[in-house]
Amino acid sequence: MAVSLRNRLTRPRPRRAPLFAWLMVLPTVLVLLAVTVYPLVYSLRESFYRLELTFSPVATWVGFDNYVKAIRHDPRFWHALGRSFYLVVLGVGIELVLGLGLALLISRLGRLRSLVTALMLVPVMIAPVAVATEGIVIFNNSWGPLNYLLDEVGAHGPVWLGDRSVALYTILLADVWQWTPFVAIIMSAGLRTLPEDVYEAARVDGASRWGLFRTMTLPLLQPLIIVTVLLRSMDIFKTFDTVYVMTGGGPGDATETASFYTYLQGLRFFSFGYAAAVSYIQLAIISVVATLLVRRMRKGLG
Amino acid sequence: MIVAALAFFLLPVIWIALTSFKTQGEVFSYPPVFWPKGIGNFTHYSSIFGGQGGHALKDSLVVASANTALSLLVGVPTAYSFSRFRVGGDHLAFWILSIRMFPPVVSAIPLFLLFRDWGLLDTYWALIIAYLTFNVPFVVWFVKGFFDDLPRDLEEAALVDGANRWQAFAGIALRLAVPGIVTAALLAFVFSWNEFLLALFLTRSEVRTVPVALANFVGGHEILWGQIGALTILAILPVVVLALVLQRYVVRGLTFGAVKG
Repeated sequence: MAVSLRNRLTRPRPRRAPLFAWLMVLPTVLVLLAVTVYPLVYSLRESFYRLELTFSPVATWVGFDNYVKAIRHDPRFWHALGRSFYLVVLGVGIELVLGLGLALLISRLGRLRSLVTALMLVPVMIAPVAVATEGIVIFNNSWGPLNYLLDEVGAHGPVWLGDRSVALYTILLADVWQWTPFVAIIMSAGLRTLPEDVYEAARVDGASRWGLFRTMTLPLLQPLIIVTVLLRSMDIFKTFDTVYVMTGGGPGDATETASFYTYLQGLRFFSFGYAAAVSYIQLAIISVVATLLVRRMRKGLG
Repeated sequence: MIVAALAFFLLPVIWIALTSFKTQGEVFSYPPVFWPKGIGNFTHYSSIFGGQGGHALKDSLVVASANTALSLLVGVPTAYSFSRFRVGGDHLAFWILSIRMFPPVVSAIPLFLLFRDWGLLDTYWALIIAYLTFNVPFVVWFVKGFFDDLPRDLEEAALVDGANRWQAFAGIALRLAVPGIVTAALLAFVFSWNEFLLALFLTRSEVRTVPVALANFVGGHEILWGQIGALTILAILPVVVLALVLQRYVVRGLTFGAVKG
């Protein structure tokens, strides 16, 4: 009796989920349908209307006009989109290089590693708005500590937030400050899983440090690097909080990102139909990256 | 090298902490004052608590706690189900994951229009509901990882002894997963606590969470830097404590469980 029970119990889990399993999932599905899918369908409808809460609070059907306007007649939107992509490319690149370097340093630490990791998590966890308020104090060009330090070493710091050609890089710097530790901690977790004995053997065979890094570490870390790149790309593409607090999109439109422009159209200009259309275009872009990421994760990180 | 890196990542936080003790004059002095005279003098903190800051802290606390509780209530059973059964193949689980990646500005506009129709704008409920979009998927995926690590033997033995599936879940698996659920709750709390964009869209004057209050401070006519410093510190303090306590799980939480850390 005991034996047969055992057999029954160790059979692989049933392919068909019982009713119970579906009931447990049901609340989540209902909630997510209600708070994401339903609003999206609702605003998809809005995006085909001209809906301006100030001038024409009664919506009029305009078909694809909002999309045509965004794609063909709104250079300001394209510039904002371009800036978001620019931030993604630079930000991901810088954070990955610095993060990897930092991970190599962290992995050589002994007992201090967990303390250093914990301290590094501080920027990662705090609100981007708090990062931004730190930023406006530190980057202030008349009394901020950063330009004072630069003065002391004989460099002349720029007007970090007020110069059209600099402000976007200041936003970038805030992101790099907040998220490089995140990349570093992921990478150092990855470094710990690498096979020590293979490295030992390669070192005995006279492989150089840089050679080892290029031919072994990087390829072994590749799955992790890809996931990190995708995660960071999605996040940087959505950059909003730091822009809102540190520059308000300015000077001029120098730091207007796609998210910030959508906010302007919605909450400042009250063109909700147009804002909806513009946000759908961003959703389409994010979906491409999200699909790649999900596909990666389904395969597992091995 | 590592000391320089730590300095780079921590000095801005230390600087804002020092700023929270400075007088307006000390903030504006050049060369900058590093060590303020009034260190340990919590006047800015008490004026923050007495003014909008105290209100904002309460609002953030209410929204983040209620949202966390709801997210757990909805998400934990689902996490268990995904861990133990193949519900909807993998598709359903990954659909839920992809919702976690939604740009907030994409949900903000439709939610604004809907909540306007329903009279929910500028209420606690607006944010408690809106934050479910990211915290429910987060809880499902994060807690699923913990259920995956639990042995099934106990639940299966209980089933053999005549318990039903609900009892096996609530009586056994749920209890064993408590550490994971607590961790998920703390991280979900942090995500709500830090959120800005949706709060900006969906609330105005009745409800004002800490990030919105901070942003308003910066946009004010006379910028009170000491108070900004104090509110910034109040905004990050709970999160910093959690970062130190939860360090093992933060990376797992921020990568949707892709990296175990």
